[in-house]
Amino acid sequence: MSAAPDAGARRLSPLTPVVRAPIVVIAVVGGSWQTFLSNGLGPSSLVVLALAAAGILYGIVAWLRTAYWIHDDELRIDTGVVSRQSRRIRIDRLQGVDIVQPLMARLFGLAELRFDTASGSGREGSLAFLPHREAVALRAQLLLRRDAVRAGGADGRPDGGPDGRSGAGLPSDPVTGEVPPAAPPAPPRVLAKLDLGLLLWATILSPITLVLVLGGAALLVVSWVTGAPLFAGGFVPAVLGAGFAVFRGFSAAYGFTVSDSAEGLAVRRGLTALTSQTVPLPRIQGVVVSEPVMWRPFGWARLEVSVAGSARSDDSTFSAATLLPVGPRAQVLWLARYALGGEDPTSVPLVPAPRRARYAAPLSAWTLAYGHDDRFAVSRRGWWTRRFDVAPQGKVQSVRVRRGPWQRRLRLATVLVDSPVGKVAVQARHRDEQESRTLVDDVVVRSRRARRAASSGRVAPGLL
Amino acid sequence: MLGSVDDLFAPPQADWQRVSPRLATSRRASAMLMLTVLAVLLVGFLWFVVDAGAAVVATALVALLVLAAFVWWFIGRVVRRWGYAEQAEELYITRGALVRTLVAVPYGRMQYVDVEAGPLDRMLGIATVHLHTASPGTTALVPGLVAEEAARLRDRLTELGEARAAGL
Repeated sequence: MSAAPDAGARRLSPLTPVVRAPIVVIAVVGGSWQTFLSNGLGPSSLVVLALAAAGILYGIVAWLRTAYWIHDDELRIDTGVVSRQSRRIRIDRLQGVDIVQPLMARLFGLAELRFDTASGSGREGSLAFLPHREAVALRAQLLLRRDAVRAGGADGRPDGGPDGRSGAGLPSDPVTGEVPPAAPPAPPRVLAKLDLGLLLWATILSPITLVLVLGGAALLVVSWVTGAPLFAGGFVPAVLGAGFAVFRGFSAAYGFTVSDSAEGLAVRRGLTALTSQTVPLPRIQGVVVSEPVMWRPFGWARLEVSVAGSARSDDSTFSAATLLPVGPRAQVLWLARYALGGEDPTSVPLVPAPRRARYAAPLSAWTLAYGHDDRFAVSRRGWWTRRFDVAPQGKVQSVRVRRGPWQRRLRLATVLVDSPVGKVAVQARHRDEQESRTLVDDVVVRSRRARRAASSGRVAPGLL
Repeated sequence: MLGSVDDLFAPPQADWQRVSPRLATSRRASAMLMLTVLAVLLVGFLWFVVDAGAAVVATALVALLVLAAFVWWFIGRVVRRWGYAEQAEELYITRGALVRTLVAVPYGRMQYVDVEAGPLDRMLGIATVHLHTASPGTTALVPGLVAEEAARLRDRLTELGEARAAGL
């Protein structure tokens, strides 16, 4: 029996307007409290109150006008106070569903669901806010239905794919048409967990902290020498700003845990705002292992990946997807190997740039190296931040070689292996001319081979 | 001719297919137009605002003329060096006068193909074919294609792209 669509609209949590209440309103009201007390209900305070009331009213109306439905093959979200917007998200196109809990929401036990459909344009839609438990259940239900729709194939039956297919085969309740949530899956295996002490030290040993300390010291010295306290005044907001940025980075990485789940790598992190994201392994387009200079004496590194179709970035510290903000190098490399389907990118022999590259890039030429084989194209470069980029051959989008006039005189050229949007950028800088063309032709051949192998199913999913 | 014989930017097989010289006409026309506007503004500024003498204005004009001549020549050079070659599995494009590049784009990696033509290009009957992959770094465009050739290339690329489509 096919499932009836979930009848009727569903609402978000009634606490949503409270959580969404603009901080500005609260701040303004809070700030003007003194004037209320001293001046009484003058015209200015009435205006402020009116604005606050309008804001709250808007929030309530917005909540009333927001509803969502779960149909057979799509999720429909209607929003909008003045201009109505109806967004439909195809359930079988859902790449992932993230659960995010900003601080205010967390205080009330609410969570936001963010949908990612690999359209590359950021979030396709979100439901904010639902009670946390309901959000978790809804997420599981949607993903289950997605797997069922995908397994169900062309006829698009929401459930009823033959048993044995992943995620399908759960019968729907004949009365209400609900698909019951699956039995809780086995607890995911934790692959890496960020140690708090390590995070603290790594945050302290970051460039921004260095700038802060040096800048602060310089300003203090100057103001002491010249005797003018003016500098101290300008110093304070700068310190606060920088300190805030540092705290945001810290709080975004707090409690970072990477686990292995059925959908891929599950990343949970956050101090004030809890975020849980999923990175499906087949969509990983490459990894970057970075080692800033200040971490190198301790052997720490960061692991980032490029994930196809996700442009999510709430915190500037997490541009692509960070798989591990800081960790011992061995652990980072192990996790990188895991993300790349079990193959070891460090086994690719690296060839350094020719000596005359010094004349093209005197400061960094000695750090440049490149290598490729049938599995990966890898490159290493940089001193301030030593980065090791890995692009699986099957994920290469295009290959370029570029030669500027200065390089021409030195008979050098730069080869760039293009990966999809993200941080990964494998580059063979300042290589010998002849070698460059050979590299380009070779990568073209090998990536073609890898693509063919992938489409014929001969390669492990991680390298597809 | 495609500039000096250069192994690094040699075509994968046979020869590079050239773009139409009408591209040079189009680019030169728009460059000259911009320079004319710039000249008028500059002369106006020098003469009326700064009250510079005739000598200064003349020098400025001569400098602009020299610049115009250089731009004219440079555009010709760039257009001469633009080439493309359709291989079995990839499209190769080479371009650049000062900074030369060569890009190899597999057909299966194409996300979509644009054909664009500004008003000047349309008047001259040429268009630009622009390929996009999932990588923002892939700058694969071929301007100055005669309209039929642009259409043919676009159709061929679309057809090959679908035939060899590789998932992400």
